[in-house]
Amino acid sequence: MAAVPDTLPDEDDLEPPQTGMLGVAALIGDQAIALLRTGRELYGIFVRTLYFCFRGRREPGAIAFYMHEVGNKSVFFLSVVMGFIGMIMVYQGGVQNLRILPDLSLIGATYLELLIRDLAASIGALMLATRVGAGIAAEIGSMVVTEQVDALRMSAADPVDYLVKPRFLASLVMTLCLCVWGAAVSTITGTLTAYVYFDLNPHTFLNLTLVDAADVGTGLAKCVAYGAAIPVVSGHAGLATHGGSEGVGRATTRAVVNSSLAVLFLNLIISAVSYLLFPG
Amino acid sequence: MGARALEIAETVGSMGMLLGRIVGRTLRLSLDREELMKNLYRMGVLSMPIVIVTAIFTGGIMVIQAAPLVTRLQAYGLLGWGAGFGILREIAPLLTALMINGRVGANNTAELGTMVVTEQVDGLRVLAIDPIGFLIAPRFVSIVITLLLVTIFADVLALIGAAYVGDLMLGVSPLTFYNGLTSGLLGTGDIVSGLVKSVLYGVVIGLSSCHFGLAVRGGAPGVGKAVNATVVASAAGVFVLDYLVSFTL
Repeated sequence: MAAVPDTLPDEDDLEPPQTGMLGVAALIGDQAIALLRTGRELYGIFVRTLYFCFRGRREPGAIAFYMHEVGNKSVFFLSVVMGFIGMIMVYQGGVQNLRILPDLSLIGATYLELLIRDLAASIGALMLATRVGAGIAAEIGSMVVTEQVDALRMSAADPVDYLVKPRFLASLVMTLCLCVWGAAVSTITGTLTAYVYFDLNPHTFLNLTLVDAADVGTGLAKCVAYGAAIPVVSGHAGLATHGGSEGVGRATTRAVVNSSLAVLFLNLIISAVSYLLFPG
Repeated sequence: MGARALEIAETVGSMGMLLGRIVGRTLRLSLDREELMKNLYRMGVLSMPIVIVTAIFTGGIMVIQAAPLVTRLQAYGLLGWGAGFGILREIAPLLTALMINGRVGANNTAELGTMVVTEQVDGLRVLAIDPIGFLIAPRFVSIVITLLLVTIFADVLALIGAAYVGDLMLGVSPLTFYNGLTSGLLGTGDIVSGLVKSVLYGVVIGLSSCHFGLAVRGGAPGVGKAVNATVVASAAGVFVLDYLVSFTL
C-alpha cells in the first residue's frame, strides 16, 4: 500500500508571499522560464511539422484549400496596406531628402533596394501575422474548445499532422507569393507618388542599379522564414487553448502578438546576418 | 467588388455611430471611473514588455537597414538624424500601434465578444446599466490614452536601441548619434506628427475592437472570427490613416 502523507502541503507554504526586490527577481525569473518553455514547445511543433511534411499523409486537397484561405483571401488586405506603404515611404523620403539635397534622382534606387531587402517582406509578413495568425489560432482554438482535437488524438491522428502541417505548407508558399505581389503593388504606388508629388520621371525612379543578388536573397530568405514562423507560432497558440470562448479569444490575441514578435525577431537576425555577410 | 464596398461602408458607418455615442458619454463624463482605471492598468502597464521588445528591435532594424546607405555615403553624422526622423515620425507610432492592435485590440474584442455570447451585455441592459458608458467608453478612452503614452515611451526606447546598434555594427558612437539627432534638422513638428498619429491610431483600434466585439454572433468560433476581423480592420485602418496624416501634416 502506498504511503499517504499525513498532511498535504498547504498552498501558502509552497509559494511564499513575494515582496520588494525578491518579488521583482521572481517575476523576471518566472517570465524567463515561461519564455524558455514556450521556445521549447515551439521548437517541438516546428520539428514535428517538418517531420510530417516528409513522412505524413499526402493531402493536396487540404493544402490547396488553405492556400486559398491564406493566400487569395489576403490579397485585397495586403494590396491596400502595401499600396499605402509605398505612397507614405516615397512621400516622406522625398520630403526629407529635399531638406538636405535638392536632387531626388537616387530616391527611386534607394527605395527599391530597401523595399526588396526588407519592407516588402517585413511589413507584408506583419500584416499576414495579424490576418493569417489570428485566423489559424481562432480555427484551431475553436476545435480544441469543442473537443474536436481530442477526438483527433483519440483516433490516433496527430493534430500537428492534420491541422498545422497543411497550414504550414500553404503559408510557406503563399507568404512568398504575397510578399512578391506586395512589393509589386508598393513599387507601382511609389512610382506614381514620385511622379505626382515630385515630378520624377518613372524611368528615373525605377532604377534597379542598387539592387543586387544579396538584396533579393535577403528578401526571399525573410519571406520563407516568416512564412514558416507564422503558422507554427499561431498553431502553438491555438493548440494551447483552454477554457471556452474566452480561451479562444486569448489564444487569438497570443497568436497575433507572438507571431508579430517572431517576425520582428527574425527580421533583426536575418538583417544583421545579411549585413555582416554582404556589407555595402 | 460592389458587395465588398458596401460591406466596408456599412462597417465604417456603424463605427461612426458608435464613436458618436462614445463621445457623447465621455463628454457627459458618464463613464465608469473604476472601469477606466482597471482598463488603463491592464492595457497599458501589462503591455509594457511587448512595447519594450518591439521598440528596441525596431530601432536596431532601422539602423541595420540604413547601414549600407550610410557606409556608401560615409554619412556617419547623419545616422542619428535619419534614424530619428524615421523612428519619431513613422516607425515607432506605426509598429507600436500594430503591436497594441494585436495585444489590446484583439483582447478587447475577445472579452466583449465573450460577454455578448454569454449574454452578460444583455444582463447589463436588464439591470438598467448603460453598456456604452459602463463597458465601451472606458475601454475606448483607455486604448487611446494607452497608445499615446506607450508611443512616447517607444520613441525613446527605439532611439536608444538605434544608438547602441549603430555603435555595435557601424562604430558610430552614441554621442555622434545624439549630435545627429539634435543637429536642428529634426523639429518638434516631427515628434508632434508622430504623436498625433498615435492618437488617431488609438481611435481606430478602439473603435474597431469595440464594434466587432459587440457584433459577435455564434459561440466560440464567432469570437475567434470577430478577433480576426478586428485585427485586420484596425491594421488596414492604421495604414490608411497614416497615409492621410503624412500628407496633411
